[in-house]
Amino acid sequence: MAKHGFGHNSPGGLLRYPEEPPFPLKEYSAHYDHIFEMMEELEAKGEILIHRITEEHQPVEVFTRTGRIKTIPTNKLWHHKSCGQCGNIPGYPASVFWFMNKFGLDYLNEPHQTSCTAWNYHGSGTSNPVALAAVWLRNMHQAWKTGYYPLIHCGTSFGSYKETREQLIMNKELRDAVKPILKKLGRLTEDGRIVIPQEVVHYSEWVHAMRYKIADLYQKEGKAKGIDVSNVRVAIHNACHTYKMIADDYPYDPEVYNGQRPAASTAVVKALGAQVVDYSTWYDCCGFGFRHILTEREFTRSFAIQRKLKVIAEEVKADLIVTHDTGCTTTFEKNQWIGKAHGMYHPVAVMSDVMFAALACGAHPFKIVQLYWNCSNYEPLLEKMGITNWRELRKEWEDTVKYIADLEKAGKYDELMEFFKEYDLYEPYSRTSTGKPKASATANMPLFKS
Amino acid sequence: MDGHIYGYNLPISEKTKAVPWEEKVRIVEEVKSDFRYKEYIFGCLNCGVCTASCPSNRFFDYSPREIVQRFLEEDVEVLYDMMHEYIWACSQCFTCWIRCPFVNNPGGLVAIMREVAVRNAFEATKDLLKPYGRVLLKVMTTGNQLSADMLQPDFFPDWGPKMADNMENLRAKRLAIPFDVGKSVKTAWEVSLETAVEMYTIWRETGIFEMLEKLDPNLYNVIMDIVEENEERYEELYEEEE
Repeated sequence: MAKHGFGHNSPGGLLRYPEEPPFPLKEYSAHYDHIFEMMEELEAKGEILIHRITEEHQPVEVFTRTGRIKTIPTNKLWHHKSCGQCGNIPGYPASVFWFMNKFGLDYLNEPHQTSCTAWNYHGSGTSNPVALAAVWLRNMHQAWKTGYYPLIHCGTSFGSYKETREQLIMNKELRDAVKPILKKLGRLTEDGRIVIPQEVVHYSEWVHAMRYKIADLYQKEGKAKGIDVSNVRVAIHNACHTYKMIADDYPYDPEVYNGQRPAASTAVVKALGAQVVDYSTWYDCCGFGFRHILTEREFTRSFAIQRKLKVIAEEVKADLIVTHDTGCTTTFEKNQWIGKAHGMYHPVAVMSDVMFAALACGAHPFKIVQLYWNCSNYEPLLEKMGITNWRELRKEWEDTVKYIADLEKAGKYDELMEFFKEYDLYEPYSRTSTGKPKASATANMPLFKS
Repeated sequence: MDGHIYGYNLPISEKTKAVPWEEKVRIVEEVKSDFRYKEYIFGCLNCGVCTASCPSNRFFDYSPREIVQRFLEEDVEVLYDMMHEYIWACSQCFTCWIRCPFVNNPGGLVAIMREVAVRNAFEATKDLLKPYGRVLLKVMTTGNQLSADMLQPDFFPDWGPKMADNMENLRAKRLAIPFDVGKSVKTAWEVSLETAVEMYTIWRETGIFEMLEKLDPNLYNVIMDIVEENEERYEELYEEEE
């Protein structure tokens, strides 16, 4: 357990502290800081290659819980997608991409990514640290190979990857176990090193780093459309795997509860001018539980309703719960309706920080934010935000869906492709990074034909 | 003796009692020999902060404090018994970890215990994970754990009537997302064949397929059919390219 003074800089510059604490600190012993210095040592020994954040990534500095300066890249990012978000809350990643287009940022989204598989591990125990490390390093190597810096969409991937990084740096046995596998995969550098990114970065940290630019966009484009979030009451739910796993390595900021609570998500809601409302169970998890949401749902819904939704409704009468992880969003979103059965129906809109920010900046609620997929009561929130034409926007979306469905049903694939040429904001697979023939592990198989 | 003189008040199951002592010691030692064990447990004040903030403790007979205490006491009988059903109550939220004054990680200990239980094909594990088969099938073959078509209204009736609407014209709805995310229905995103084949190599080299074979032979066979088919397709494509 290393202890670093303020003003400390590691020789390679990966570990940096400001001269003075940026906010009052409760936690002076940084449990994980030493790994940055150890990463530098391992790189000097030729064991690892650190994928560094450089000027082209347009870095923004934030503080972590212990006051460490964490570097957040904002440009030239490789999207490490989340299976839960893409599968279950499509407006989540679509809003991230929409912002990146709006800001003219460079990014890469390709099919050469597996999930972290950590949800499976936490839910079923059917993996092990070597496999988890191999999956992580495989994905990180792919990002490095493309020249884009990895941005992790999923909270669990983020937490699991931070933990895996520490295990790898601290345990030669683990590095020795994983290297032959990576060699077999062609996932070592030419001189036989494993690739480890300088920082593991979650999308909510990107939103946090971009909050003032997002607020500017809201002023320029959202307000011009008559959108006003100043009366919106927002209860924040921070995801356990973002700030309780490897707890020292997540943004805290003097402007958010004087650095005493995680800053991401709260900061962007504040920057937009919405009202952040505090509630007594802010620290509780959502009740997702990995396997529980699937196989112990009575636990998940009881916890979500009694410990969070009821409290948020009764204590602060929030219009919206803002989240930053797939599991939490799903848990709050989908477990409201069942409360009716017990006279505990507390309808409140639920969405991620980036979805709410996109709405505020004028994104289409259905085409971009994909709210049709949400089960929660989002309509009163749209009305309160001044998006009073949501019925017409919904009709517009439904007409588009019908148009696509009809063309496909009639087998008019050429017309469909022409339509997508104009419609798609990111052309599918136009920028894959491999020279090999495009082949899918999923699309052409009878079992998974979509 | 049924249960423990304090704390673990569940009666030790007959199954656990019938297992030879040496086998129980072997299993507990397997947990303790994991390299993470020494990083997850340091000491314990028995303060109970972990349990006080534990979500599972509110709804189940489950306490992270118990787990740490039993390891420190080397209470083999209780630990072995816990590894059947008790540990599956944990939500893996790691609230215990951030709260512990000693920086113990009871949730991490549970992860090791679950892994050992699965690796040793405990009967309780087989039963508990049966409903998890759909996720296992998807993650082992595609590297995605969730897809749009998994959220069927009949599987989630408690999620309300909007779920049924979501499934109408699902494919068209997904194609209408103007970015290349979530466009596929049966996976979260389209995974390239070479990525999937790399993942199969990881499963083979790290013993995950073996683990699965012991856990659920039928599921294992279905998965291996898909894996082998994909590997053959990859070989063919690679040869064409050569």
